[in-house]
Amino acid sequence: MTVKPDSYMYEMIRTELTDAVGEANVDVKFADKFGHSIDYYWIPEMWHDRGRKCPQPDFVVHPGSTEEVVKVMKIANQYRIPVVPWGGGSGSQGGALPIYNGIVLDMKRMNKVIKVDKTALTVTAQTGIITKHLEWACNKEGLSTMHLPASISCSTIGGFLAHRGTGVLSTKYGKIEDMVMSLEVVTPTGEVIRTLPVPRHASGPDLTMLFLGSEGTLGVITEVTLKIHPQPESRQFRAYIFKDFHTAMQAGQTLMRSRLQPCAMRLYDETETKTHVSKVFGINLDKGAYLVFGFDGRKDIVDLQMKHAREIMEDQFKGQDLGAKGGEWWWENKYKFFYPGYMFHVPQAFGTLDTVADFSHIENVYWAMKKVVNTEFPDARFIGHFSHWYDWGCMLYARFIFPGDKVPPNAQEAAALYNAVWDRAIRAAIREGGVINEHHGVGLKLGRYVKDLYGTAMPVLEGIKAKLDPNGIMNPGKMGFAGC
Amino acid sequence: MHIDKYEDAIMNCRFCFMCRHLSAIGNVRFTEVDTPRVRAAMIYGLRTGTNSFEDEDFVDALYRSDLSACCRRNCVNGYDENGLCLAARADAVEAGHAPEAVKKLAAQYAKKTGWTATGKGDVAYFLDETTAADKKTADAAKKLMTAAKAPFKTITGGCIGKALKVLGYLGEAKVSAEAFAAFLKAEGVKTLVVSNPAAFDALTKDYPEMGIKLGCKVYCISGYLVASKVAFRKAAGEVYYLADDFMRNYDGCACPEKLLKALKAVNKPFGTNDEETYCCGEGAVVLDKLYPDVVKALAEYVAARADDPKKDRIVVLSAYTKKYLAKYGKLDVVTMDELAASCL
Repeated sequence: MTVKPDSYMYEMIRTELTDAVGEANVDVKFADKFGHSIDYYWIPEMWHDRGRKCPQPDFVVHPGSTEEVVKVMKIANQYRIPVVPWGGGSGSQGGALPIYNGIVLDMKRMNKVIKVDKTALTVTAQTGIITKHLEWACNKEGLSTMHLPASISCSTIGGFLAHRGTGVLSTKYGKIEDMVMSLEVVTPTGEVIRTLPVPRHASGPDLTMLFLGSEGTLGVITEVTLKIHPQPESRQFRAYIFKDFHTAMQAGQTLMRSRLQPCAMRLYDETETKTHVSKVFGINLDKGAYLVFGFDGRKDIVDLQMKHAREIMEDQFKGQDLGAKGGEWWWENKYKFFYPGYMFHVPQAFGTLDTVADFSHIENVYWAMKKVVNTEFPDARFIGHFSHWYDWGCMLYARFIFPGDKVPPNAQEAAALYNAVWDRAIRAAIREGGVINEHHGVGLKLGRYVKDLYGTAMPVLEGIKAKLDPNGIMNPGKMGFAGC
Repeated sequence: MHIDKYEDAIMNCRFCFMCRHLSAIGNVRFTEVDTPRVRAAMIYGLRTGTNSFEDEDFVDALYRSDLSACCRRNCVNGYDENGLCLAARADAVEAGHAPEAVKKLAAQYAKKTGWTATGKGDVAYFLDETTAADKKTADAAKKLMTAAKAPFKTITGGCIGKALKVLGYLGEAKVSAEAFAAFLKAEGVKTLVVSNPAAFDALTKDYPEMGIKLGCKVYCISGYLVASKVAFRKAAGEVYYLADDFMRNYDGCACPEKLLKALKAVNKPFGTNDEETYCCGEGAVVLDKLYPDVVKALAEYVAARADDPKKDRIVVLSAYTKKYLAKYGKLDVVTMDELAASCL
């Protein structure tokens, strides 16, 4: 729905929204709306780069409380206006783009840390808080969320909850869904619900999990209680160069199967090691695959785990030891990878083919996607690293990159080329047992694959959506749900 | 266009989110438009026609920037969105699209030339109008200059070009700066001392950029006291020193930290981090005159991060920051001049 700014209905709705949240918290100026028309998805970035206008919201609304969110939802239902929750707007999948205009519900005004519970080791916060600010607040108390993603400085905690985000310490501390105790949610029809206060129970299905990863399609997450942790006494890293990525993968899998408990592990394929890791670290790693891992906690236990991990890396798989320093390079530069100049950037065309699979399938997923990109899109480069490791498998952070001069100047043609890579590569990944995706979410970018992914379970998901959001106003056209 | 000198910032900041958490205005207005990302994207849009200086809201956002330069300081590439924003202001002015409030303010500053000097010697203390408005700081500075034991004169007067430069009136800024440089030369000033970090930044950075040679050594007052080996009899005790936009983020100097050591101050970390600005828009020099409501919100944001707002002794460098943290933040704030003078 587009409400024409020169219509009296526009003013009628603006008046009601203003009554709900205050005049200063309803933005209708072009510059404000422009700021919400581009997120971190390549398509709107490219669209802007080519001088094209992206869809904009009719209203940007900044609620300051759960009650204000309720009021906005009631108004939106009354007039059947699309509502798109917006946290930091740093999603790479287009999940927060107002593709049908309507209301962008910018949550950043709801940025309060409500309580740090030092007995239960939990923190309760409003979900509009920028995650770095939440982490700083915990650090001040000697604690940490241990949720340290590359986008920590720009994403709200609500954004991570809505997209099942993850941080660099995921192997030990889990993804965001593993960190959540409970949620407060405003449903699409404006009811406030709270999920059960603890995540481990036998009191029926877990509603917390229903809303995590729902990307604003099932409601607005307004408050969260998260587990937090003491800062570890010791955190140590170590890195190795292996002759090839396959050997390094075997070493990494062996480490995970040993049930040692690394806090983080990363494996970069030969190409990414040479071109990307070398650049970020400022050193020359021109041969082999770089693997880094770390442990944290009590120093004596960290030392012992590191000793056993070294035996796996050095004795079993003959890794070239880069030492603790080689591991610290990664830890100290873990966010640098995502700055311009190190991260890919328009006018290049690039995408992260984020896929997760178990250890029995993950290498096949890598080779299948690499083959698609290399053979069907010869102008593109393919690189990959494995960035979140679990007991059973890991995530493949594969990327394709077209140099700027190989991307059509015409915006539609550029978008078509981009989408073709996704279509071919993602379907190859699914065929090999991969799941799209691990932590970036579905959004607009991957919505068309959700039916393939869910199969006969898709009607169940659609039924939940229809029940919770009878007017279909919540983030329409995303996650494979219907538009409006 | 002036913005063309900042090609790196235009092309890279426009789609980058890595400094979002440090956007002081964005953190109190909760807006996207008040971030380096969106400002840079809009400035890029000038080239393609997506955006235009005719959009008053766009120009407004440029003038609402706090110009703290926290983004530049914390960027691994050092991309200068701060400089880009200043360049875009200058382009907006030259295109005839400066907001009315900006035009009026610039006209006032352009008229404020003319300085007077009292006292003797080739050392001069420049009492700028912001510092002069804070009598306690002005008095403290006088005591400190006296304690340095070199004869000095005090120069008072109007705009030395900084406010005009920040507003985008580069030609007028240069006229003011040249007039001030000529005045210093006529007065035979060999050493110039300032308390206001904005003035220090103008004299040490803007003037050389404009090709103006001062012919005298410029000190911040902290640096001058340290260099003069002024003896302090009393220890400053426990303080929370708020790092200054100009001295820290504009690479001014580390003299304030050296002075704190000389004062035997126990400097406690303020807030939750040392990345954000706590200066209420000091880097934007005249933000208080254009957007007083935003400055109020910035001061309240800082106050909310104090360990104990009623007891904590906050130390800042500029009378500007002191004024607003005290007024809106209700904090116990002194300038470095006052702190140092109390230790004599």
